[in-house]
Amino acid sequence: MKIHDQVQNLGARVGAIQVIAFILLALLGARLYYLQVVNGEYYSDRAENQRIRLIPIPAPRGAIFDRKGRILVDSRPIYNVVISNDGLKHASAADKASDYASGLKLEPQFVTERLSVLKKQNEFESLVLKENATIEDIAWVEAHSLEFPELRVELQPQRNYPLGTTLAHVLGYVGEISPKQLESDTYKDKGFRPGDIIGKGGLEQYYDEYLRGRPGYKKVIVDSRGRVQSELETVPPQSGQDLVTTIDLDLQLTAEDQLAKSVTKRGVVVAMDPNTGEILAMASAPSFDPNIFVKGASTPEGRKQIAEYWKDETRPLLNRAIQGRYPPGSTWKIPESVGALQEGAITVAHSNVLCGGGITIGNKHTRCMGNHGSPPLDIAITRSCDGYYYRLGLKMGIEGIIKMVETFGFDKRSGIDLPNEKVPQTPKTWMKYVIKHEGKWSDIRTVYASIGQDTVVVTPISMLRAVSSVGMRGKEYIPHFLKEFKPIAAVGEEGDPNYIPARPGFTFQHPEPTLIELQPAQWDLVLKGMWGVVNAGGTAGSIRIPGFDIAGKTGTAQVAEVGKDTGKNKDHSWFVSFAPAYKPEMSVIALIENSGFGAANAAPAVKAMYESYLSRRDGAPPATQEVAAR
Amino acid sequence: MVALTERGLRDFDWQTAVLAILISFFGVWQIHNAVPSESYWSKQIFGIVVAFIAFLVVAFTDYRRLIDAAPIFYAFGLLLLLLVLTPLGVEINGQKAWVRLPLVGQFQPSEFMKIPTVLMLAKYFGARKSGVLTLREALIGSTIFAGPLALIMLEPDAGQAITYFPILAAMFFLSGIKIRYVVIGTVLAAVMVPTAYIVGVKTGKIKRYQQERILAIIDPDKVDPRGYGYHTIQSVITVGKGGISGIKGDPETSQSVLKFLPEPQTDFIFAVTAENTGFIGCVSLLLAYALLLSRMIASARQASDRAGMLVIMSVVCGLAFQIFMNVGMALGFLPVIGVPLPLMSAGLSAILSTFVAIGFVVSVRMRRFVN
Repeated sequence: MKIHDQVQNLGARVGAIQVIAFILLALLGARLYYLQVVNGEYYSDRAENQRIRLIPIPAPRGAIFDRKGRILVDSRPIYNVVISNDGLKHASAADKASDYASGLKLEPQFVTERLSVLKKQNEFESLVLKENATIEDIAWVEAHSLEFPELRVELQPQRNYPLGTTLAHVLGYVGEISPKQLESDTYKDKGFRPGDIIGKGGLEQYYDEYLRGRPGYKKVIVDSRGRVQSELETVPPQSGQDLVTTIDLDLQLTAEDQLAKSVTKRGVVVAMDPNTGEILAMASAPSFDPNIFVKGASTPEGRKQIAEYWKDETRPLLNRAIQGRYPPGSTWKIPESVGALQEGAITVAHSNVLCGGGITIGNKHTRCMGNHGSPPLDIAITRSCDGYYYRLGLKMGIEGIIKMVETFGFDKRSGIDLPNEKVPQTPKTWMKYVIKHEGKWSDIRTVYASIGQDTVVVTPISMLRAVSSVGMRGKEYIPHFLKEFKPIAAVGEEGDPNYIPARPGFTFQHPEPTLIELQPAQWDLVLKGMWGVVNAGGTAGSIRIPGFDIAGKTGTAQVAEVGKDTGKNKDHSWFVSFAPAYKPEMSVIALIENSGFGAANAAPAVKAMYESYLSRRDGAPPATQEVAAR
Repeated sequence: MVALTERGLRDFDWQTAVLAILISFFGVWQIHNAVPSESYWSKQIFGIVVAFIAFLVVAFTDYRRLIDAAPIFYAFGLLLLLLVLTPLGVEINGQKAWVRLPLVGQFQPSEFMKIPTVLMLAKYFGARKSGVLTLREALIGSTIFAGPLALIMLEPDAGQAITYFPILAAMFFLSGIKIRYVVIGTVLAAVMVPTAYIVGVKTGKIKRYQQERILAIIDPDKVDPRGYGYHTIQSVITVGKGGISGIKGDPETSQSVLKFLPEPQTDFIFAVTAENTGFIGCVSLLLAYALLLSRMIASARQASDRAGMLVIMSVVCGLAFQIFMNVGMALGFLPVIGVPLPLMSAGLSAILSTFVAIGFVVSVRMRRFVN
C-alpha cells in the first residue's frame, strides 16, 4: 500500500474488500455447482417437459356397411377449435371463458363446462372447444394467437350418419366419454382420457373396441407461448376396423316405411334369417337423428334438440325391438303350444281342448272371441282360440308355463349384439312376488299367462327369436348384426417403439344353436296351425302371398281392460312369422303400438317385408336405387 | 494526455485491457446464443469498439486532471438525469430511464452518471487529511451522492439506484470510517431489510408483484410459475439445464430461443452463458472476473494518491456488487432487479460506462510512479 495512514489502516481495509469480493464470487460458484452439477438432469428434464408437447392425432373410426357394402356410417374431416390446457392450469380460466364464448359464439355456460373438463386432464393435453368451426371461427383463432396461444384449429374426423334417422337405434351414435363413464368399470384402467370419443348406444357402443382406432401423435417443440416451432416426429394413427353388418338396407327402408305409414307411427319391425340369426332389418319408430348427438352436443340448438328427445313422451331414443316390453297376446300361443306338446299336456293324436266360449274362474268369466267347439291344436292356432289356451294353460299348470319360458329363453336376453337389451318378464319373474303378496298363484293368473297377458311382457326380439326357432324345428339361434370386421394393417415397423400391430379381420362366431326337442309330427302340427293363419282361413288370411307361404301368428295385446281400450290405450297389434312355412328363409315380426287388431295393422307390414324380400330374391331391381348408389 | 511513447506503452496495463476485452467478446458470443435471429451481438461489437476507444482515451489521460474537472462532469451528468424526466426522456416498461438526443441517439444517463459521481466523491475524499471520517465529511459525501440518486429514483429505476450504494460505501470505508460504525451499519441492514419487508407488506407499500418476486426466491415451488416468479424459475431451469459442459445438440431448442427465458441478452445473459457453456464456462467467467478485480485492487494498492486509490476501489466495489447482484438473480437467490452483468449484458450505455470506468483504473495504474 503506497498511501499509508496509521489510523485508517488502509491496506487491511482494501484487503477486506478483496476477501469479501472473493467470498461473494465463491458463493456464486457454489450455487452454480448445486444447480448445474448436482441438479443438472432435473432441470434438463424440466426444460424438456416445457418445450416438448404431444399433440394427439385422432384416429378415424371404422365405417359401418350393410350386407351389400352400402355405407351406413362413415367419418368426414371437419375443423375443430382445440384448446390445450397448459397455461390454463394456473391462469384464471374463468377470465378467458367469456372471451372464448363471444369470440367463438358459444354459450358461456358451455365454455365453463369445457374448461372444467380440461382442468381434469393431464398437463399439455387438449380438448375440442368448438366442433365444425366456421371460417369466421378459424379467422378469430388465428387473429388472437398472441392473446390466446392455447387455442388452435385442427382438422379432425367427425362421425357422420348419412342416412339420418334410418337405423339410428341399431347404429347408435358417438360422443365424448362422460366423467361418470371414465370412473366406471367398463372404461376404467383402459387408458381413456377426458375428451375421448366413444360409442354410445347401438353397434357403435357394442363394438366400440374394434370400431375405435388407435390415436397417433405429433411430437413438437413449442415456445413459451405454446406455439409450435418444429416437429420432432409424427406417429400416424391406426384407423378403426370397418364393420360389415347383416343389415339389408332395402329391407330396412321397407320396414321403416311401414312404420311411418302405420296408424300410430309407433312400433317395431324386425326381419331375421332364421337359419343363422342374422338380423336383416330392425326398425323402431319413432326414431332420432344420431347426427344431432354428434354435431349438436356443443351448440345451443343441438342441446335443445337432444333435451327434447329425452323429454319426448313417445320415447324416440328407445329401441323398442330390444328395450320395449309388451304383452305378447296371442303370439304367446306358439311357444305355449310347443311347451304343451313337449310336456305332454296334449299329444298329436289328442290335441283337442274345449273352447267353451271362454272360462269362468270363481265368479269371473273370461271370454273367447268366438265359440270354437273343441278344436285340435292346429285349428286353435289358426283361429286363435283363447278358450282353448285358457284350459291348456290350466292343464300345463303355471310350472309348465315357466318350463316353456325357460325352454325358449324368455328368462334371458336374446344375446343380440346390442347394448342395454331388456329381459322379458314372465310368471317366472313374478312368482315369488305374487306368492308373497297374494299367498298363492291363482288359476286366473295362469289363465291370463296362457294368452300372453298380465304377468307376461316380452321384447319383440325375444318373440321373433322364439318363433323363428319353431320355423327351424327347434334350432334357436342368437340374433346378431355382425357379419364381418375387416382387417386393418399395422402402423410402423415391427420393433419400432411406436409400432401398432395389425388387427385381424373376423366374422361372427356362431355358437351352436339351442335345441328345442320335439317329435317331427309335433312340429308338423304346430307349423300346420301357423300356416293356416295365413293360408287356410285363419286370422291373417288377408296377407296371403300366392306361391310363398307365410306361417305366422297374430296377436292383439290388451293394454287396458275391455271397454277402456280406445285411443292411447288401444291394443298393441302383433304379427310374428316366417316364410316359406316349411323351409323358412326369413322371419319377420311387426308390432304396431295401440293400433288394435294384429291382423289389421301388424300383418300388412309383415307382408310388405316379404314382398320387398321377394322382389330382390327373384331378381327384380332394387326398389331403392338412390340409396344403392351411395 | 500521456503521449503514446515507448514508456507509455510499457506502463499501459495490458493485463486489465486484455481481460476486459476477452470477457466482453465472450459476452458477444453469449448474446448471439441468446437471440441468434437478432443483431444484438453485432451491435454489441460496435459498442465494444467505441467503448474501447473511449477506454484508451481515458487511460492515456491523466486522471488527476479529470478529477479536477469532476464538478463539470457532475453538473453535466445531473443535467442529463434531469433531461430524462422531461419529454425528451423515453419511457420503456413504465420506466423513464432513457433519453434520446439528436446526433447521439438513445442512451441511459443513470449508467454514465456513476463516473462523475465517483470522480466527485474521489475529489472530495481524496483531498482530505488522514484520520477518522468525521460526521461533517460523511454528510458532505452523502449530499454529493444524494443528487444523482434522487433523480434516478424519480425515473424510477431502483435497480440502477442500488448499484450506486457500493460507491459511497467504498468511499466511507476507505476514508477511515470507524469499524464500529461498519458493524452497526451491517447489523442494522440485516435487521432493517426484513423488517422493512414485513412492514411494507403489511402496509401495502410493497406491491403484490414485488412480494411474489421475493417469494419466488424463498420458496420457488409455491409461487405461480406463470406469474411474477416466472423469471426466477425459468432462469434457474436454464442455468441447471446447462449441466457441466453446456447444452449439446440443437441450439434452436434453447431456453432463450424458445423464449422461455425472458430478457436473455440483457438481464439474464448469465443464464444463457450457463445453458450454453455449463459449469465449466460459468466458473471460467467468474474466475476471469476475479482476476480482473484482483488486478484492479493491486493497482489500487500501488496508486500514487488517495483520490486515485478511491477511484479504483469504488469501481471495484461497483463491479463486484453488480456481478453478485446479477448472477445471484440468475441463480435464483436474489430478487429480480434490472442490474446488467458488467461487460456481458448487451447494451451500449452499459458497455461504454464500464470500459470508461476501467479506463480510469488503468490511468491511475499508469501513473503509479508519478508524483
